[in-house]
Amino acid sequence: MNAVGNVLTSRRSSLVFALVYAATTAVAHATENIDTISHLKQLNVEDLLDVEVTSVSRHASPLAQAPSAIQVITQAQIRRSGATTLAEVLRLADNLQVAQRGARGWAISARGFNTDLANKLLVMIDGRTVYTPLYSGVFWEAQDYLLEDIERIEVISGPGGTLWGANAVNGVINIITKRTADTQGLYAEGGSGSEMDAIAGLRYGGTLTPDVSYRVYGKYLDYDQSVLPDGSGAGDAWRRRQAGFRMDGAHTTAGNWTVQGDYYSNHEQVPTGGTTTMEGENLLGRWNHALADDSGLSLQLYYDRTFLSLAVPPLMLGNIPLTAAGTLRDELQTFDLDFQHRLRINDANTFTWGLGFRDTHDVVDNAPAIAFLPEVLDQQLYSAFLQDEIRLREGLSLTVGTKVEHNDYTGYEFEPSLRVQWQAAATQTVWAAVSRAIRAPSRIDRDLNEAPVLTILKGSEDFHSEKVLAYELGWRAQASARLTTSLATFYNNYDDVRSTAITPATILPFYFQNGVKGHTWGAEWTGALQLTDDWSLHAGYVLLQEKLRVKPGETDLTNARNEVADPQQQASLHSSLDLPRRVTLDLGLRWVDTVRNSNGQATGRVPAYLDLNANLSWHATANLELALTGANLLHDQHPEYGFPLASRSEVERSVYAKLVWRR
Amino acid sequence: MKIARKLLVLGAFAVTASLAAQPARPQTTAPTEQQLKAVFVFNFSHFVAWPQNSFATPSEPFAIGVLGGDAFAAELEEAVRDERVDTHPLVVRRLHSIADIADCRILYIDRSQGAGLERMLPQLQQRGLLTVSDMEGAARQGVIIELASEKSRIRLVINPDSAHDAGLTISSNLLRLAKVARTGQ
Repeated sequence: MNAVGNVLTSRRSSLVFALVYAATTAVAHATENIDTISHLKQLNVEDLLDVEVTSVSRHASPLAQAPSAIQVITQAQIRRSGATTLAEVLRLADNLQVAQRGARGWAISARGFNTDLANKLLVMIDGRTVYTPLYSGVFWEAQDYLLEDIERIEVISGPGGTLWGANAVNGVINIITKRTADTQGLYAEGGSGSEMDAIAGLRYGGTLTPDVSYRVYGKYLDYDQSVLPDGSGAGDAWRRRQAGFRMDGAHTTAGNWTVQGDYYSNHEQVPTGGTTTMEGENLLGRWNHALADDSGLSLQLYYDRTFLSLAVPPLMLGNIPLTAAGTLRDELQTFDLDFQHRLRINDANTFTWGLGFRDTHDVVDNAPAIAFLPEVLDQQLYSAFLQDEIRLREGLSLTVGTKVEHNDYTGYEFEPSLRVQWQAAATQTVWAAVSRAIRAPSRIDRDLNEAPVLTILKGSEDFHSEKVLAYELGWRAQASARLTTSLATFYNNYDDVRSTAITPATILPFYFQNGVKGHTWGAEWTGALQLTDDWSLHAGYVLLQEKLRVKPGETDLTNARNEVADPQQQASLHSSLDLPRRVTLDLGLRWVDTVRNSNGQATGRVPAYLDLNANLSWHATANLELALTGANLLHDQHPEYGFPLASRSEVERSVYAKLVWRR
Repeated sequence: MKIARKLLVLGAFAVTASLAAQPARPQTTAPTEQQLKAVFVFNFSHFVAWPQNSFATPSEPFAIGVLGGDAFAAELEEAVRDERVDTHPLVVRRLHSIADIADCRILYIDRSQGAGLERMLPQLQQRGLLTVSDMEGAARQGVIIELASEKSRIRLVINPDSAHDAGLTISSNLLRLAKVARTGQ
């Protein structure tokens, strides 16, 4: 089967079941396996044919064949990391830049551009896009799940526009939750620690008919505030509630459906005074139908509502307040429809095509210091894509395709890509790709007014899409049964990147333009080594060089420095050890190089740092687990992001204990 | 005081959890694809008759070779632990190339081997070797038993001609449950 297409076309269907295995062979639960296998061995062949497995992927593609810079975070890794939030889990992906900002803020990006308004990453939870059209970024504290029920997270660095559309400029994060058949029974967790006042999670999964199963869950988090450089409280404590359900059913032998929904609400203390609240709900339905001969259909429909109420401080000019403090409210409703058809034409060609429609209804209630005009905006996005996976000859295949999108800001956009995969040996794959991707304008680029009384910064009507042409070359190998390694290199050529222009004569207002261009290049290396049956190591290293400049005839207030804030290098080393008496010990060491950043008013740096996370778990009985987790153990406190101001919040050493009960 | 409150919360949770945990029922978690396939392969060692006198000594191991698929090999090792075929202990050999198949009775070719299968097949016939693969269409290409995935279940596809060529007799109890494939069809 053609693995290029496998990876590229399995958008939200089970993508790379086998990847999970290749990446973490044998790390997990040995005792559970023996129980399951001895149970199976008691069955006769006839019964075995009736056994349903957790996931059978017809498009499974082993890690050694994946033709893009993909990394998979498995449930075993999530569980053994002791992470408490989704954002924290993403530290496990070596191909991401992840920086924590205080108690709840996170800056997460791939291949750079990790600024306050980072906007080049597409993030999906079970096929539902979660970035905000306000600035094309993600409010990370508003995205979470009961981590136990996540099956895996696929992190792809590099453009994914051909399949996923605008915004998949530098990477795609695909969070896939477990099927309900795999979350049967009761799960309960509760814990508390030095920086986290409480975590509590509860899930129950059951079956309605032999073919229909469900789960309901809830999660509660209460976080303490972080600290300022002088050790005083940063005033950013927060708490979050989330609840949801999922139902999976098989309708016929070939078809299956999913209905799921979530609700969340955040209550956040704001350092400059007041509180911010966020809440949202979503409802999603999906229908998959497998056709003969490696073909299939899928149809997905979702509704999503997010509501933000942000406390906005007064706009200050030196010590003079230009506006009063206030609240910015934004309610966004999204309706999204997505259809996909995979069709095997002959031995050499497999076509995948799809159609998409998205309607957004955005209502902003402006604050004195910041406004989006118009306040009410309705937009429609239409898209279509077509891709052909061509098997040229044994071991050599080509994937070519394009997405065509129509958005209300810039009209038609094309995002083609060409990928070649060469299976050099059974255990080695070399791949190369050329892709074009765009970031369509967001509301901040077009509609921002800061502030209406005296506009200092504003969006512009002629702001158009940012573009990248990316060249990638990668290699993956399974050197032996115990050693796998991969290397991805890239050269990205960007044009029309956002700049902040100065109005001639009056200087103010500053306004957004597409005045920056440039290139980035770098490499991402990972290696996984199974030292013994009980001990495995995983290492990663990322090199990133960013060269942006102001285009001739354009101006930029920050001289092309405002869109990047990234370490040139980062490295990580994880160790997973199974100890006797059902105890596991996991250690994660990470080193992040100096981050240089600029916001126009100030330039600064975040010093390079080395830090350590650790998790010790004891599976006391088949039902009960006790875990002790420490994060950022090497420093009392350290900054990971932001300008060296007295108000920069820092991350503290933290320890927490958690009890888990499964049945 | 804050610490005390946290300890109280944790303590209360521990008590509730341990009370609730009382009768530990056997867990019946759904098996993974690899676990199920491993048990199938283990079963094949009992449903197939190999040519007489093919073992040199009664204690000579019955070797199952696995090409690719470490996760599968790990599950298979669990499945055959302490098991025997007659007097021969079952062992799993993780192979790196088909040059290593010399003493194997069963060879499992993981689908990760991809396009390599066609190239390998001519070298695998006529050896008293039961070939098994989960690659789509493997039986049509000449593999004796294919483990096909259908929805979330496993289906057996058997190529009786290949079995005959290899000098193997497959139990009718197994054949009855399988779909029959012919080479090239």
